[in-house]
Amino acid sequence: MHPRRSLRAFAPLVLVIASLGVLAAQDLTLPNKPDSLKFAIIGDSGTGSKTQYSVADKLVASRAKFPYQFILMMGDNLYIGSDEKDFKKAFETPYKPLLDAGIKFYAALGNHDNPNERFYKGFNMNGERFYTFKPKPGVRIFALDSNYMDKSQLDWLDKELAASGSDWKICFFHHPLYSSGGAHGSDLQLRTLLEPMFLKYGVDAVFAGHEHFYERIKPQKGIYYFTSGGAAKLREGDVKSTAITAKKFDTGYHFMLIELVKDELHFQVISGEGKTVDSGVLPRFSDVEKKKLSTATQQ
Amino acid sequence: MLQNPAHAAQAPPATKPQAPVEKQQAPVDKNAALIGDFKARVEQYVELRKKADDTAPPLKETKHAGKIKDAQQALVERIGAARSDAKPGDILTPEIAAHFRRLLHPESKEPGTKAIMQEDKVGTVPFKINGPYPDTKPLATAPPNLLEALPPLPKDIDYRFVGRHLILRDSRANMIIDYMLNAIP
Repeated sequence: MHPRRSLRAFAPLVLVIASLGVLAAQDLTLPNKPDSLKFAIIGDSGTGSKTQYSVADKLVASRAKFPYQFILMMGDNLYIGSDEKDFKKAFETPYKPLLDAGIKFYAALGNHDNPNERFYKGFNMNGERFYTFKPKPGVRIFALDSNYMDKSQLDWLDKELAASGSDWKICFFHHPLYSSGGAHGSDLQLRTLLEPMFLKYGVDAVFAGHEHFYERIKPQKGIYYFTSGGAAKLREGDVKSTAITAKKFDTGYHFMLIELVKDELHFQVISGEGKTVDSGVLPRFSDVEKKKLSTATQQ
Repeated sequence: MLQNPAHAAQAPPATKPQAPVEKQQAPVDKNAALIGDFKARVEQYVELRKKADDTAPPLKETKHAGKIKDAQQALVERIGAARSDAKPGDILTPEIAAHFRRLLHPESKEPGTKAIMQEDKVGTVPFKINGPYPDTKPLATAPPNLLEALPPLPKDIDYRFVGRHLILRDSRANMIIDYMLNAIP
């Protein structure tokens, strides 16, 4: 039997023990308010490797201190194939304590994913490549398939964003529109298509993966961008500090914790060693500010 | 843009359309006919798949990952049996392929297009009609401008570029239903 699998049979116990060890070494910087929306982010996680399991342990442990309600997956959820054993090895086993606790995972498709992952209940995609959900009044989240941005998806997004009356509009997908990565970099074509729509409808924050590191981008035209693709893979030294970089981390694995408190987005990024590598609070831009910023010169 | 040299020299009165106007439209009509032909061929495939779908285990949301693969495989087998005589060019006929090349060539020169296509490092994909797209290979990200240049497809049929080549893929069955070589220069 896989040692991890046997350990995960005692999931609640693991969660408590792990939390004692990991969280003792890290301070929670998030406000952790009782009525806030709390979620976590993992990207490029599906390797089934020892590294994925190690980061998963930290993710599990962090929930003892920060009870996030769901997890967004930035794509490349299964690198190793899409057989039942692959789902077990790269998803069900490493995140068993969270799944047992009823934590929902919402996945976006990456270029390494079989699009039929959308039928897997554990990814909560409702059988669709792109979808939206409302985790709380005033917040709407949009999952996109950036591997195949065809007209049907663009039309759908336009319609859904237009109909969204939510205060917070958050999008996530695999390919970053802004990135300082050497191997991939910004997806300019995707940016040309999506950014005008994001600006038109006042999207507040965008999360992506694909790049195997962490990068927080300086606000672009009133939108916050994060790249988080290092939950199991690492491209060490790949991210350069460019004019758009607010913070980068490419020397270790990581995951993100997010908390929305009224008009503030609080974030904390935790490394594979359990250290905080970035944290802060970002105010939600008002509609007037967004309009002003959307026409400003890009940084 | 097409332009008749005679018109350039002396434009006819706007109220009296002349025969050359019809000649000007002819290539457009031919292209429209090719697109229409392509859509009809795809639609024919979709009908075939629908029948296969009706007799296969449902590919629907499930918490059992194994059922997804089983349903996908059953669909592959049924489609494969129903179009066992399918061959390259049945949908992407030589005429349609030539038209697609004309549509894709200018777009492929747009900044960033080739970079997107080369980024995924797809490697070797066996081009076999009714054959699977390898599960362990990344699905090459399709540059949005190339998708925009081509006729839209019904749900669950997609275009994928493997190097310079274009495949038409059934995403439910994860199956190559047709392909054309050297789609872009």
